[in-house]
Amino acid sequence: MGRKLLLDKAHVENIRTYDVYRREGGYRSVEKALKSMSPDAIVEEVKKSGLRGRGGAGFPTGMKWTFIAKPEGVPRHLVVNADESEPGTFKDRYLMEFIPHLLIEGMIVSSFALGSNVSYIYIRGEYAWIVDILEQAIAEAKQNGFLGKNILGTGFDCEIYVQRGAGAYICGEETALIESLEGKRGNPRIKPPFPAIKGAWERPTVVNNVETIAAVVPIINEGGDEYAKIGIGKSTGTKLISACGNINKPGVYEIDMTISVEEFIFSDDWCGGIKNGKRLKACIPGGSSVPILPANLLLTTAKGEKRLMNYESLSDGGFATGSMMGSGGFIVLDEDQCVVRNTYSLARFYRHESCGQCSPCREGTGWMEKILWKIETGNGKISDIDLLWDIQRKIEGNTICPLGDAAAWPVAAAIRHFRDEFEWHVLNADECLNKNYGLAHYADPIAVPQTV
Amino acid sequence: MAEEIKNIKVTIDNISIEVAPGTTILHAARQIGGEVTPPAMCYYSKLQGSGGKCRSCLVEVSKGSEKDPRPMPKLVASCRTTVMDGMEVKNITSEKVPEARAGVVEFLLLNHPLDCPICDQAGECHLQDLGYNHGKAGTRYEFKRRTFEKEDIGPYIQLHMTRCILCYRCTYVADQLTEKRVHGILERGDHAEISTYISKAIDNDFSGNMIDVCPVGALTDKTFRFKNRVWFTKPVDAHRDCNNPKCCGKTTLWLRGDDVYRVTARKDEWGEVKSYDGKPGWICNTCRFDKKKTSDWVIEGPTVINRHSVISQGHYDGLVMPQETIEKVLNGRKPKLLMDIHDVSDVNKNK
Repeated sequence: MGRKLLLDKAHVENIRTYDVYRREGGYRSVEKALKSMSPDAIVEEVKKSGLRGRGGAGFPTGMKWTFIAKPEGVPRHLVVNADESEPGTFKDRYLMEFIPHLLIEGMIVSSFALGSNVSYIYIRGEYAWIVDILEQAIAEAKQNGFLGKNILGTGFDCEIYVQRGAGAYICGEETALIESLEGKRGNPRIKPPFPAIKGAWERPTVVNNVETIAAVVPIINEGGDEYAKIGIGKSTGTKLISACGNINKPGVYEIDMTISVEEFIFSDDWCGGIKNGKRLKACIPGGSSVPILPANLLLTTAKGEKRLMNYESLSDGGFATGSMMGSGGFIVLDEDQCVVRNTYSLARFYRHESCGQCSPCREGTGWMEKILWKIETGNGKISDIDLLWDIQRKIEGNTICPLGDAAAWPVAAAIRHFRDEFEWHVLNADECLNKNYGLAHYADPIAVPQTV
Repeated sequence: MAEEIKNIKVTIDNISIEVAPGTTILHAARQIGGEVTPPAMCYYSKLQGSGGKCRSCLVEVSKGSEKDPRPMPKLVASCRTTVMDGMEVKNITSEKVPEARAGVVEFLLLNHPLDCPICDQAGECHLQDLGYNHGKAGTRYEFKRRTFEKEDIGPYIQLHMTRCILCYRCTYVADQLTEKRVHGILERGDHAEISTYISKAIDNDFSGNMIDVCPVGALTDKTFRFKNRVWFTKPVDAHRDCNNPKCCGKTTLWLRGDDVYRVTARKDEWGEVKSYDGKPGWICNTCRFDKKKTSDWVIEGPTVINRHSVISQGHYDGLVMPQETIEKVLNGRKPKLLMDIHDVSDVNKNK
């Protein structure tokens, strides 16, 4: 098992309290950053680390931080996106619940780097009990002089507030999150202007995922170069994966992005193989909105190489034969699962969560759901499959925010890789109601094109 | 007005024009005019913050700017994208745009009731125009269309939520023209609706302008309801001394004989309220709903109306006619004495 940077101390008894966290070496990065480093040096360190946003898009964090505008006399804000609503993703919940001080520590350092004196944690409403945990942690940090006015006598002031969302997936999109934080309806804004120029209350704002901010702590403690040594290529550091579905050991795992997907699913160190001795059929490797892959393409890339658990390898082959790292919500489907049913539930989710602002997503998501339900219940036509393909194509890329893409991708990938299962549903209308298509050929090795 | 600074060159569909910095692609296209102007369903230049939602104005940017010539990866909403120097935009010459736009039209019409024959907006409806110009004949939707519970929003305005395309224009009117907005969007996604929370009646001096900005028949004039078709009424420009300081008093009366059937604000060629002295010519509810006699008004003369509407123009060119099914019904026998209007009559022939 690889090195752990974030969850290393997560199981020390009472790590949730300040005293234990401090005893285990907590808040060292705040002392180091505030006393011996300049804000620019911290940004530089994060840039060197190669840390990529852990929320889903994987944008380099250090680069994002340099975009923030610094107009004279205008306050800047750091907002932590804890609106973790992607189906299959529950890593931030784990992190905040077990080791809340890590997030607070990362936030103080990041706030200092960005010049934010008031920072926010926007947390999804369903995580009601975590709000109490975080507020407890904030109060403790404040008592011990790590928050509030003149932190550690360095003259830097910082306050952190926790804001609860009201249960909308769309508020995980950064501009919708900002709208919601301002107390408005959570509709995504039209970009540009980007939040780094005009964010919350028209002020420069950086929105980062919980895990991203937590990862700043080991980067400052050990240095960006050391952090960058872990992992492969542009996938540096460690990543939290929330594994779920038909596996023996679901849970949150911290991986160092060098292991293969096969190892991750079947090794006893990680997921421990498929439940009840079944066979692997498909997997959604990065949270519900990334393309689903059949077993053969999941374990090896189209070039015949072993697929690794990192940003580059998971997206190898583009959407034609690859997927995405996404938010790390690893959903495994065994041979008894129905891909049509699975796609339908995802489509239903996206229809329910579309904000209704722009027309392709508002109308298209509902349409796709209805057609998928028709196919799933044995009332579909072969032409419906092509219609679905056409609808998703007209949604993708034509919407204000990425929710439209997120709704289109799972449908597209399911049709791309599992078209015969859809056709089987249409052609065997009665059978599909009480029988499954099964594994079919989805685990068969794929022919690798010969390289000359 | 001060001399406009024009130093940004933009090319739309191979037509170059110089515009002021900060101009949007849509406005640059409107300055060129004609066919290269993308349609706009939700954007309204007089309402701050509007636009970007309906996606019918999508265009392709094939060259970002002189400095950064890379094309933009996705189609962009022309109403909210500002031009850069040297930008090249493709609207009607693009391969991707017509398809995407047809997709948007299909989405907008998906749950639309298509009750044009009984809709007061018919004839001046932007969705009709958009559908005729950019859509496809026929729908692929085979499910029940969405309906809403009826809601009474007061004595002057009729709300038909089923026709609404959620352009948000009316909420911007309420925000920017009236003192307090009492209606808004409730719910989300495909069940989002315009509503006054707990059926509160909309009652203020400028609420009537919501009717003018509504691109479809979702908000119509209750005092004109089912009275006449817009193309039977004759528009004339008129004005009166209105004592409401925010009302411009310049209107269009829609007459039939000497009867004033309807009063609206004056509109420009893009279907937007005209501006006077740089201010949008909004009118108050007294002018709109209460002054329904010709003696209330000083009539200036017939309104020059832009015949963009498909109904006023009758341009059914290029429309795919519904397939003739008679032969099929008659087992391959050609009809001889049936009313064979598609082939015989000149009335419905393509020009």
